[in-house]
Amino acid sequence: MEIEIGKTAKYLRDKQGVPDSAKEQLKEFNRIKKAIVDALKEQEMTIPQLADKLQMSKPDVTYHLLTLVKYGVVAVGEIDDMDEYFSYKLVK
Amino acid sequence: MEERKIIKYDALVIGAGIAGGEAAINLANTGYKVLLVEKDHSLGGKMILLSKVFPTLDCAACITTPKVSEIARHKNITVFTESEVTHIAKKSDNDFVAQISKKPRYVRVEGCTACQLCEKACPVSVRDEYQFGLIGRKAAFIPFSIANPKAAVIDIENCTLCGACEKACPTHCIDFTMETEYYELHAKTVILATGFNLFDPLEIPRFGYGQYKNVITSMQMEREIAPTRPYNTILRPGDGKVPDRIAYVLCTGSRDNTVGNPICSQICCMYSMKQAQLLMGALPMADITIYYINIRSFGKGFEEFYQQAKGMGVNFVKGKIGKITEKENGNLILRYEDIAEGVVKEAEHDMVVLSVGVKSNPSAGKIFDGNSLKLDPLQFIAQKDLLGSPAKTSIDGVFVAGTASGPMDIPDSILSAGSASSEAISYLTRYQSV
Repeated sequence: MEIEIGKTAKYLRDKQGVPDSAKEQLKEFNRIKKAIVDALKEQEMTIPQLADKLQMSKPDVTYHLLTLVKYGVVAVGEIDDMDEYFSYKLVK
Repeated sequence: MEERKIIKYDALVIGAGIAGGEAAINLANTGYKVLLVEKDHSLGGKMILLSKVFPTLDCAACITTPKVSEIARHKNITVFTESEVTHIAKKSDNDFVAQISKKPRYVRVEGCTACQLCEKACPVSVRDEYQFGLIGRKAAFIPFSIANPKAAVIDIENCTLCGACEKACPTHCIDFTMETEYYELHAKTVILATGFNLFDPLEIPRFGYGQYKNVITSMQMEREIAPTRPYNTILRPGDGKVPDRIAYVLCTGSRDNTVGNPICSQICCMYSMKQAQLLMGALPMADITIYYINIRSFGKGFEEFYQQAKGMGVNFVKGKIGKITEKENGNLILRYEDIAEGVVKEAEHDMVVLSVGVKSNPSAGKIFDGNSLKLDPLQFIAQKDLLGSPAKTSIDGVFVAGTASGPMDIPDSILSAGSASSEAISYLTRYQSV
């Protein structure tokens, strides 16, 4: 059977399915992304402020937030007066 | 049983790091046809991921990228990425038969323009192994910005097969029907450039790696100071703070019988000093302390480099770290024996970098018929004639290049690759003239 170019993902999906771990991982990332984006809609925040607001660990916030910076969803703002923490804001 | 394509080359080079690449170029420039097999998605090995090199502080990418570009475009070199040599049998002198499996990339490299639209469309995010887990990447991704081939790859284990990448791809080069390809290679000589493994600091729980997020490895710091860094500046992975008191723990997993690695890595003193100097440039107000057992500045220009680091204000403490603990604010307490004073002390730092050592990659030992390739007691490839012909292995016609035979720095790896390729050319010439 000829498989149409541009629709080969469906072919592999039908053939071997999608691992549950991949689906769970996507769900978790989307949940955290939404939480961070919603929080930053209100105001710019540093990582400790975000962790406090979202009740998440600081390392998890650091990882996900800086990943969102890489993906172009979030931008780096100013550093605080103590030159310790940057603030982060949504990309308009 | 899978169908195998029969292919023939003069030489098989396993590993496309700096040593394997150099050996392949030397053979190819002499007119021999070379198959270069690499298990990763890109040429360049570990070197292409470095920031700068010691003791010259030259940009590592500026040295590596022209080299990998030459390899990729050389008419006498064929590159197999995502590929592994699973078995090699020596049928006779000058006749090696290798079984190779080439995993699917799910992207037709020749059609990919590296536009990254697939990456943008992909909804999946997983830890980026090329940034040593400091940040995420997509399941459809370009490994890193100077990767060669610079083409997308699909991480099929984490892909949800949603098809978004295919829809976004303007050249229709994404192809999920690709399957593993199997080859039977006939070659006249083999060069092993399988490199080394970095010591895994999880083997030393008292240093807290994995548990305390502001304890990182030297490769993670290497990424933080590289031009293609994961963050906008140097940050603590534990809370995004800009650190101003950074400690280096030298000999992590080197010269340590308790972790089964009694030898010196030959590189951790110097790369730590290199990173310390780069950090002082990036964070001018930061205090950098290097805890060491002995400084081994044995190479050309190394002692001057050490003195330069001291002159810049890097603090050197002759001390052996016993334990690292974390404070509530993420700072780290280093409990150490001050060797000079003979007393136990404690010091607080924002961030700790473990200067991890070098371990063998024993994988090559398993692929030869009847375990005929001999390894040394630390599982590096044994050199049959260390002083006379250091590239010779226990199998005539099989040569070793770079850190596959033991820890060494980049210039020594390149020299070793020159030796291996010269020996291989000599071997090929010997049988050509018969």
